[in-house]
Amino acid sequence: MKINRRDFLKTTALTSMYFAGFGIPTFAKSGPKKNLVVVMLRGGMDGLCAVPIKDDKNFEKLRSKINLDKTLKLTGDFDLHPALKTFKKLWDEDNSAIVHATNIPYTGRSHFDGQNLMESGGKIPYQVKTGWLGRGMKTAGLTGKGLALALPMPLLIRGVPMNNNYFPVGDRLPSKDTLNLIDQVYKEHDEKLLGENLKIIMTRELTNTASDDSWVLASNAGQELSKPNGPRVAVFEVDGFDTHAAQGSTNGAHADCLSDYDKIVKGLNQSMSKETFDNTLIVTLTEFGRTIKQNSSNGTEHGYGSAIFLAGGLVKKAQIYTDWPGLKKKELFEGRDLNSTIDSRAIYASAMSTVFDVDFKKITKEVFWGENLLNLSDKLFKV
Amino acid sequence: MKNFFRKVGYGIGPNEQVPTDPLKWALDQVNNVPDLSWKGKIYSEKELRNHYKDWVYGDRKVLRKKYKDNKTLYKTHKDLLRHKTGQKFWESLEISIRHNEGINSSHPVLAKLWMFWGNFFAISEKDFLANYSTGPYHREIIRPNLNQTFEKMVYDVTTSWAMIHHLDNSESAGPKSITASEDWRKKKKRPATINENHARELLELHTVSPKAGYTQEDVIQLAYIMTGWQQRWSKKKLETGNVWFNSEYHQPGKKNVLGKEYKKGKKSLAVVIKDLVNHPNCRDFVAERLCKYLITDEPTKEMKQPIIDAFKKTDGFLPEIHKAAIKVAFKYNDKYKKFQTPENWFIQVAKTADLSWPPSTDLMDGYELGIKPLRSQRFPERVLRNIGHHPYRAKQPNGWSDDSADWLSPELLIRRLVYADRSYSFLKAGNDNKEFYEKIINNNFDNPGKISDYVFKNMLRKSSEKNVLIFNHPEFLKA
Repeated sequence: MKINRRDFLKTTALTSMYFAGFGIPTFAKSGPKKNLVVVMLRGGMDGLCAVPIKDDKNFEKLRSKINLDKTLKLTGDFDLHPALKTFKKLWDEDNSAIVHATNIPYTGRSHFDGQNLMESGGKIPYQVKTGWLGRGMKTAGLTGKGLALALPMPLLIRGVPMNNNYFPVGDRLPSKDTLNLIDQVYKEHDEKLLGENLKIIMTRELTNTASDDSWVLASNAGQELSKPNGPRVAVFEVDGFDTHAAQGSTNGAHADCLSDYDKIVKGLNQSMSKETFDNTLIVTLTEFGRTIKQNSSNGTEHGYGSAIFLAGGLVKKAQIYTDWPGLKKKELFEGRDLNSTIDSRAIYASAMSTVFDVDFKKITKEVFWGENLLNLSDKLFKV
Repeated sequence: MKNFFRKVGYGIGPNEQVPTDPLKWALDQVNNVPDLSWKGKIYSEKELRNHYKDWVYGDRKVLRKKYKDNKTLYKTHKDLLRHKTGQKFWESLEISIRHNEGINSSHPVLAKLWMFWGNFFAISEKDFLANYSTGPYHREIIRPNLNQTFEKMVYDVTTSWAMIHHLDNSESAGPKSITASEDWRKKKKRPATINENHARELLELHTVSPKAGYTQEDVIQLAYIMTGWQQRWSKKKLETGNVWFNSEYHQPGKKNVLGKEYKKGKKSLAVVIKDLVNHPNCRDFVAERLCKYLITDEPTKEMKQPIIDAFKKTDGFLPEIHKAAIKVAFKYNDKYKKFQTPENWFIQVAKTADLSWPPSTDLMDGYELGIKPLRSQRFPERVLRNIGHHPYRAKQPNGWSDDSADWLSPELLIRRLVYADRSYSFLKAGNDNKEFYEKIINNNFDNPGKISDYVFKNMLRKSSEKNVLIFNHPEFLKA
């Protein structure tokens, strides 16, 4: 372990020759459309499995059965899980980064409460009935610009009207003529809201037989986000990070979930135009990390600190941004979990401020009840 | 006027007579709680909970250890255990029983109210509750209380195994209780603390609602009163033991909730529930929720008042509350049309078109424990997930929303189009003819001639699109 707690916010950037010496392009308000994609990693993503620390004897010992035998190289201090291939490709292009030892300020270790809080952005489970993303969009005046690749509409994006969602039912829609008949009847009955929704439906592929595989969903979303008048926000969900048993190393159950995330990034990257990808930010969200120590079933238990993946052209540079708390027993949260030294809501507030072009203070005030969150926009994103 | 049969029920089947006195028809259905009309096998909550036990014990205590090095074998054996304990089947059976009550019973109005209370006291998607426990909870805790008082319903819900598990009350331990000073807590760094979840929801969702203006301190004090109500834990049954009052977890001393003092001990839960249900905000909240479910997104004071009065006059006797709500729904029937939630709509389609739905008792009784259920045996659960409104899988303890806006999204409306189309393949033999469709239309629309023209005078690509037009007509989407 070469960095320690007081290497305060030291980042380990991979310098890219391309950008060296050049100004980072800035976007005026009238500039290209910018997009925010949030991928929810449900079940508790193990930041230490995805982005393991190098040369930490204690860590290796505690995870003797589930250590990765093969990794992708990121920096002198951290490696990357081999399932994250696209993410690594983007890293090499300076289009992805990691925030480590971070999480929402929730330490209760319940999925149920944790997932509610990661979406609402609040501190007491079930108290807030809207999501931080929905409130952020409302603040930015982004009505009708949200797309959830999920059914029903996730709490995260609630709080602003007229969001769209896409999650293929796997069956044909009725013919265009029939839809037109229905549209007419809606008009006769002055059913405006039904009519508006039907209008969106009629722009869809009527065969509608696409699968709900994450790569396909992401490809669809990528195309939608590339349209000048398309959505500006998309939300994905990946389940299954709750690996109490057989978490495995390079090929375990956690690897499958990370690979699902990677497929979403890949689908977006491949389906978007270059300009759209350059103006897109993809961030992850999870309810908590996992215990540093493996359990007797070669899995891990619910923990606290985790990591956040950032990807897309709006990422400032390839870096691991962290205030690393250390993994010695006394440095762990309650003696068992990676601590969280960065309130992840600061990252989400900064991301919304950057992508929605809204003043950071305004976001913290209207989305997070004026909580004192750090503005990380210029550290993490192209502002 | 005919929308009333769907407003408080699921519509009129093609082979049924349209009742001449709709109000009487509805009111007569809520006095008693008849046996369930499902003629196939019905399993008790205890029996199903025993399967839940076999599942959690088998996975947590056996398989996780045995296959810790092999995710493929672990997965294979986990799947075997799923089938051994019926994990992929019970839910579909429960939904069949539930839908049958709306479609084929003599009490569809009572069925609609049964579903209302199941959602009012929602068990949301958590652990494996939907797979084994939420259906039987609706049958054994909610349903028998439909002709009892609201107070009894709240008490039975609060002390039910499913709700205790759902809202973590077993995790709640009084900081000054006997267990707080046990050695293992120090060793394992697990101090005794309360878990406020259940107490908060008892106030917010199940009785007085936030309008009562309770404070965080009230929540904590109520949580203290509730400490000790938990699942009886044992090494073999884990968290699936019966609910009991464990005095060792109970916070000693007096408590104070909303200005009233309560003694320590087991009996205080019933006392505090009595006070909460008699709080004026509780009556208002129940009236509000009933009006939202049956009548409109924005109930008026005038709508709520007769329900509030009935609640007050009869000490919360549910049949009288229900009758008051039905009368209000009848009074405002023409003025307010409520956009029907996906499951309500789905049951209405099945009933008004006399579809082969739910699956037959023969099919469901043919299920063999240990064997993977057939696709057709799992269909009910799949359909409800797919239409985005699975009654046992709400995302939060506040259940599914009754606000129209939450159900008006493109993906959800696509499902209405697609499932209306699919409903055609569920028509019973011999029913695909104009005469039959005329019966559906006559029994359920006020202007049958116009609807009939709409369905039959337009050229349609496929016969199934008749169903699409009827069941996506605004007059059918609303009631």
